Amino acid sequence: MSWEYLQGVLVLFLVNSIAAMGVSLLTGFTGVFTLGHAAYMSIGAYALAIGMGRYELPWPIALLLAGVLASLVAYLVGVPTLRLVGDYFAIASIGLGETVRLLVENWQSLTRGARGYPGIEPFADLWVVGGIALAMGLAMFNLTRSRFGRAFKACRDDPLAASTMGVDTTSMRIVSLVVSAFYCGVAGALFASFMTYVQPAMFDLSKSTELTAVVVFGGLGSMSGTILAAAVITLVVEAFRGLAQYRMLIYGLVLVTTMVLRPEGIMGEKEIWHLLRGRRG
Amino acid sequence: MSSLLQQLLNGLSLGSAYALIAVGYSLVYSILLFSNFAHGGFLVIGGYICYYSLTKMGLGLLPAALLSLAGAGMSAVLTERIAYRPIRRRGALTLYLLIASMGMSIVIENFWVIAVGGRFRAIPPVIPTSPISVFGTTVSSFDLIVLAVALSLLLGLELFLRRTRWGLAIRASSYDVRTAALMGVDTDRLVAIVFFVAGALASVSGIFLAVRYTLYPQLGFITIKAFVAAVVGGLGSLPGAVLGSYLLGVLEMLVAGFISSQVRDIVVFLLLVVTLLVRPQGLLGRRLEEKV
Amino acid sequence: MSLLVLEGVTKRFGGLVAVSNFSLSVGRGELVGIIGPNGAGKTTLFNLITAVYSPDGGDIRLEGRSLRGLRSHQVTRLGVARTFQNLRLLKRASALENVKTAAQLYHPYSFLESISHLGRFRAKESTIERESLEALERVGLADRAHQPAGTLPYGHQRRLEIARALALKPKLLLLDEPAAGMNPEEIEELNGLILRIHRELNLTTVVIEHHMELVVGICQRVVCMNFGEKIAEGTPEEVCSDPEVVKAYLGEDFAAGLSVCPTRGARGEVDDA
Repeated sequence: MSWEYLQGVLVLFLVNSIAAMGVSLLTGFTGVFTLGHAAYMSIGAYALAIGMGRYELPWPIALLLAGVLASLVAYLVGVPTLRLVGDYFAIASIGLGETVRLLVENWQSLTRGARGYPGIEPFADLWVVGGIALAMGLAMFNLTRSRFGRAFKACRDDPLAASTMGVDTTSMRIVSLVVSAFYCGVAGALFASFMTYVQPAMFDLSKSTELTAVVVFGGLGSMSGTILAAAVITLVVEAFRGLAQYRMLIYGLVLVTTMVLRPEGIMGEKEIWHLLRGRRG
Repeated sequence: MSSLLQQLLNGLSLGSAYALIAVGYSLVYSILLFSNFAHGGFLVIGGYICYYSLTKMGLGLLPAALLSLAGAGMSAVLTERIAYRPIRRRGALTLYLLIASMGMSIVIENFWVIAVGGRFRAIPPVIPTSPISVFGTTVSSFDLIVLAVALSLLLGLELFLRRTRWGLAIRASSYDVRTAALMGVDTDRLVAIVFFVAGALASVSGIFLAVRYTLYPQLGFITIKAFVAAVVGGLGSLPGAVLGSYLLGVLEMLVAGFISSQVRDIVVFLLLVVTLLVRPQGLLGRRLEEKV
Repeated sequence: MSLLVLEGVTKRFGGLVAVSNFSLSVGRGELVGIIGPNGAGKTTLFNLITAVYSPDGGDIRLEGRSLRGLRSHQVTRLGVARTFQNLRLLKRASALENVKTAAQLYHPYSFLESISHLGRFRAKESTIERESLEALERVGLADRAHQPAGTLPYGHQRRLEIARALALKPKLLLLDEPAAGMNPEEIEELNGLILRIHRELNLTTVVIEHHMELVVGICQRVVCMNFGEKIAEGTPEEVCSDPEVVKAYLGEDFAAGLSVCPTRGARGEVDDA
């Protein structure tokens, strides 16, 4: 096992963590079920590829653009769907995933279609990705321990009580969605840079499902649980590379068995420091 | 003009397939107030049972179809028992049910991938697909058969709901499950019956879709369009699900026929967004207000 | 000027008329009680005021301003706080977290400050914590601040909902059956709590209640509802002996000469007739 290979696995873990944190905020903390977040990764990846390839933007700008563009699309999807019961958004999220894939495959002049967009500058080495992951992770942990975090959890646990407490549930859900999309957009962009190319097949329903499985398995409402689960699943996927067809089956089983047997996942609602301190802060 | 009629009939045929799926999905939603994403799995199970009954067991069409219905219906009941009931019992958030249902959907689909392989299989041609002449144009007899079967099944369902005791129980429960339980309805039995019916209807659709598109494990994915149809028609409303389905089927075929086949899926999604923006309760849906 | 005015309010659910042409005026600083048999429409009234439902007819005004068309959280921000008949606490969160979620309404800070924990973050969070603990103090739950709300004894959970409502610094407090499931001792304590809050904060309060002892003990004015309509209004003594009210509670056959007023026992304690 070479250092290069290890680097690759670490980068994969970090990228997965960033995306998973986004989904965790939306599903675990705000209670909005999504199955199309790979679409935001795809948008981010292509924004970076086209931004750097066609418009020769420097990578920090392109990276920011990736997140912002994904957020914008999320906002447009969220406004009509998030004021309704959760099922509507879930259906819309699956629809979005497919629509993005179709658009990417068919808008060949812009995206080069299903063949993929090659030649992306590999600025995303371990240190860059690690640094960004750290910063974004810190921001996310801070967010969950703020007035937004409390509002998100109220939206998840009892939207009626939440609005009675003055929380604008629709706005909060939209904020949560926009932030989650930003994270996924950046993650997608970083991944594209690391791979030096991007293909629509990288961000399909299987990827969306993987993200949701990570969040559920880690514990709905625990960021550290999400990161832990991301580590586990990244390692498992790497170790069982040959059994790709079983991968999806395992994701499905993880989702079902976790919900039935241990819905709190690994960490429940606790964060790592709760375990160390031994008391809920 | 003849092309229009062909596409229309094509659309009605596709709409019929959607309707059988959407109605089952809406039925479950109206009782349990959650979207069973595993619904597509029942469709696929029905398709494969039919395929293997026809090829490996050499059964005729009718026994094969009945076996599919029974098999899919039973899998639906089983899914509910294993995955949903424990969660419902705990009184957990709907979110958990959604997640579990998605998980089941993936498990069912990938079970078939592993068990029989992902390649496309053609259903033996036991259902006639030959062209016949109607109103001076040629249309596929398959489309007519699908339409006829779907309408009869939907009519049968309507009669079941209106004329039988269990049908009454189901309709009562769609207003308030707890009250229905208090009035003596065996809720567990009721849920099992609803799931069986939903699964059986989905399997019929599965057989038709398998003939139309060939059979493969991801065929269940088409249920997402049926979900859109149910939303457009009005989530929880059965007439709405039927209306939405036929609307969607016809729209899709017209777009595919006169604009492009690639765009048709995008149009489906657009229809969903427009509905949610303009009239979120759908065409025939009720405005559900949660009683506090 | 009246704080809360309901004018000809009507609400239908399909064929059922839950509230019918209901009018009520609540003055600033009043403590009003609403009684009536189950299904009379009392909770629906609260739901209409707090915009959980929208009225089919009539108007609801807070300090002269109509509440029609507003959403729930907007009504809360105008100064209306409520508790729920069936308790709606965030069970997994601590008592303190529950109250903070309400208290934070008046101490907002930006998204940027939230992700960085810089700027006004510390100061505002500190204020939120302080105010939340004060609210818990007021209802006597300060020592249970860090316990998960779902593990608190039932009576404490009810008090927690009140603390949460108080943290919203309301002009109008709506209590929906705060004494449900309590024994006479607990009801005495609750009476004391509500009177204290009402007096110390001069908080206009409307209470829905079944238990006559609570209503008679603390309300200045009582309204009785049945089948969505107002059937009596007046002082507690007037209302509980009103024949229409007695009929509503006890039925036609028993009405003659009875009242639903609570009687005082030998030691002066109050129990239901």
